[in-house]
Amino acid sequence: MSFTLPALFTPLLSLLGMGIGIGALLGFTARRFHVEGDPVIEQINDLLPQTQCGQCGYPGCRPYAEAIAAGDAINKCPPGGEKTIADLASLLNVATVPLDTGYGQVEPRKVAFIREAQCIGCAKCIPACPVDAILGAPKFTHTVIASECTGCDLCIEPCPVDCIDMVTVEDDDPAVEIQEQTASRLACINCALCVPVCPVDLQPHELYFACRDHNLNQAQSLNLMHCIECGKCDKACPSGLPLVDHYQAAKADLARQQKERERAGRAKRRFERHQLRMARLADEEESRRRKRAELAINRQRVSADSIQAALARVKARKSEK
Amino acid sequence: MTDIFLILVGAVLVNNFVLTQFLGLCPFMGVSGRVETAVGMSAATLFVLTLASACSYLVFHYLLVPLGVEYLRTIAFIVVIAAVVSATEMIMRKTSPLLHRVLGIFLPLITSNCAVLGVALLNINQSRSFADSVFYGFGAAAGFSLVLILFAAMREKLDSSDVPEPFRGPAIAMITAGLMSLAFMGFSGMV
Repeated sequence: MSFTLPALFTPLLSLLGMGIGIGALLGFTARRFHVEGDPVIEQINDLLPQTQCGQCGYPGCRPYAEAIAAGDAINKCPPGGEKTIADLASLLNVATVPLDTGYGQVEPRKVAFIREAQCIGCAKCIPACPVDAILGAPKFTHTVIASECTGCDLCIEPCPVDCIDMVTVEDDDPAVEIQEQTASRLACINCALCVPVCPVDLQPHELYFACRDHNLNQAQSLNLMHCIECGKCDKACPSGLPLVDHYQAAKADLARQQKERERAGRAKRRFERHQLRMARLADEEESRRRKRAELAINRQRVSADSIQAALARVKARKSEK
Repeated sequence: MTDIFLILVGAVLVNNFVLTQFLGLCPFMGVSGRVETAVGMSAATLFVLTLASACSYLVFHYLLVPLGVEYLRTIAFIVVIAAVVSATEMIMRKTSPLLHRVLGIFLPLITSNCAVLGVALLNINQSRSFADSVFYGFGAAAGFSLVLILFAAMREKLDSSDVPEPFRGPAIAMITAGLMSLAFMGFSGMV
């Protein structure tokens, strides 16, 4: 009796073979085109304030991001403050912890300022700046590009004449003060009288809760930015709550956050470019040194050769005599 | 040359994949919110569809036909397309990070785009040659891109227009798509 393969075998085997083949191919590409880097590190890095100040003990924000991804504490960043810690905690799904004050205190934003009368133009502060925000050349007065300075104070230490000060900057858009009217301190009772009067179809009471609790994401998803601040909800509110004031404060907060993110993005790019520049300079220095060393060896060899040649000549002349 | 031209016109306008064959409607509705995402999706689709029609042709004619298991083509094509897309993503991430950043999130989405599978199967059904299959795939993707970007531009306009309450959101998008489809019906019979 001849043994024939059941009809099911061909498709099974061909699919199995194809699966194995494709799996091997994919495995090979994954190995061959392996990319270093963890997407989580990028996400963490994007949440850090990019001041590159090194207060956390790491040389810049990216190294700290790598350390966090490897399990370091998330509360070592004084410039980021509570906001950064909260963002990191929600990204990494860990508990929020207060800032470790051993690494510094939360301080208002500062920028470096060079007292130009005292600057001797030594250019020592320029490589120290992680974001290349100091402008100057040897024997010329330096100055700081205030809009790009992250306030990391890494330029203070290398300055030989101590002509750099850290100056607190005034916030461009100070927080909007909310003046709760003393006449009415009633809470929102969810009467929803404000809803029909809103000309842009928002949910003013929901928005009020979000803004009061500083839940900016929630406020944004309730279309806070669509509010035209017409004040109709204020008038409709039987508790007399200053609704529009809350919206304005929340909008100002959002704008400030946005500005900070933009500033951080700029600092990140400048830091990356600074590092590239430093690497290039180091490379050039290295190649120059190697060339010098080669030259010295060559010269030595040449002189040794000429001595040998002279000796040989003398020897030849002596044997002739 | 005219053959290729006819295939391209046929795939882009006359038998447009989205508006006349109703394939790939999911990304058509899903990523047409903004023109930038639509352009990213279009570029990714253009890339993958051309590649996938070539690969599926090779797999069918040099693997399935010799083994006598043509009826497995649907499963085989799904696997091949998924593998091609994954491999492309990996290679792109290494060799061209910029392109990867533009197309990155769209590539895995295309794996489940039925237009890709549709092109592969139609190529087999209409027994095209290798070159014709590739051009048909490219044409189908170009047609998809055309309507996707047009539709995204229209939806951006719609966002700022005063749409009656009951029609807001997906409803008006569906109506717009229907009107576009009607307009594309005008091309039928051209090739």
